[in-house]
Amino acid sequence: MISKSTATGLILLVLVGSAATVGAQSAPSTLEGMWSNPPTKAIGVFCAFFCTDAGIDRLNALLDDPANDVRPFQQLQSEAAAYQTNGYIRPRLTAAALKTYPVDPADDPGLLRCEAWGLARQMFAPHQLEIHRRGNDLVELHYGEWDARRTVYMDGRKRPANQPSSRLGFSVGRWEGATLVVETTGVSKNLTSWRSEHSDQLHVIERFTRSAKDNTLLLTAIIEDPWSLKEPIVAKKIWAWSPTSQIAPYENCEPITAVKRGTGQP
Amino acid sequence: MTRTRQGLLIAAALVLSVKSASSHHSFSAVYDDKRTISVTGVVRQFRFVNPHALMSVEVTDDEGKVVQWTVEFAGRLNLSEVGWTAESVKSGERVTVTGNPAHTIPARMSFLRLVRPDGTVLLPAGPRRADAIEEERRERARLRNQQK
Repeated sequence: MISKSTATGLILLVLVGSAATVGAQSAPSTLEGMWSNPPTKAIGVFCAFFCTDAGIDRLNALLDDPANDVRPFQQLQSEAAAYQTNGYIRPRLTAAALKTYPVDPADDPGLLRCEAWGLARQMFAPHQLEIHRRGNDLVELHYGEWDARRTVYMDGRKRPANQPSSRLGFSVGRWEGATLVVETTGVSKNLTSWRSEHSDQLHVIERFTRSAKDNTLLLTAIIEDPWSLKEPIVAKKIWAWSPTSQIAPYENCEPITAVKRGTGQP
Repeated sequence: MTRTRQGLLIAAALVLSVKSASSHHSFSAVYDDKRTISVTGVVRQFRFVNPHALMSVEVTDDEGKVVQWTVEFAGRLNLSEVGWTAESVKSGERVTVTGNPAHTIPARMSFLRLVRPDGTVLLPAGPRRADAIEEERRERARLRNQQK
């Protein structure tokens, strides 16, 4: 007997795995290499920034209902996203976090000041993710979005007690078989991908696994924060194997100051 | 004859509605996806850059006044995936470009479609994504019907 979330995960892997077959080149023997935008499938598009099992289950149910065959995909996607927001994300937020949730897109520091994202958004960022091992002690995660780089220490060290918090935090990792497990703390107060605020007590465990067909990468992240969350949020993200993709410089961000407020209500 | 063609069009055929996962910032706070607008003019610059490609188009209105339009695209990766390069649009080209106008910034739009005088059309990644998803949905329906 498998749990519903496990079943959802399996469905997700099957869907994305079968999706990326076309045009895929030989897969890597490890997680190392370049991963990029998810396969162009309903679930891949839905998870382009982040998704949850609740949202995926809802989208699958909508797609499996013959009555919805004539409805535009965007409607179904929006309905599943709203379900995910109201049925999964919002109930987990504390009263303190709900005071500002959802943060107005017009207040996004990335938009107003070209301020690069914090960990809770960066880890779900669209576009490329390049994974490099640096010997046995370091793994580097290099993202296309913001050209951001994270260093993951694999040598068992702890975060130095006097280390100040930072935008992407301090990450340590380990291999569990072929799965890369990354644990991050020391992240400065910032925003999540679902537009809630979090504190510097954020604690994230990311698990990166390859699909059975070796051509998609699945991230399952457990996010905890006693200030903003009553219980952990488990969020997911998919990339497709993309060995020829190259991360281009990220040097032309232009701040936008003329914005409209109130456009981001879920 | 109006050289600047601006107007509200019926927005968003499905193929234009699957937004690319391109934004380093919120689309909704800057652009109005309920409206589309088209302008015709001469390209002055096309920058194939991250986070978003940008194009300047010089548009002359009915009174002969020149307005510099800024067209914002997806980033390089998403455009590259559907065949765009830095040479896809050249300075001096006359184009008609359609997009979602900015809420409050004048003469700025988010790109949906570009048409050259010879009828050549350039599109973002969204339409191809929409086609792929609709194909997936048809296949899903077919399998569902087979199981009945």
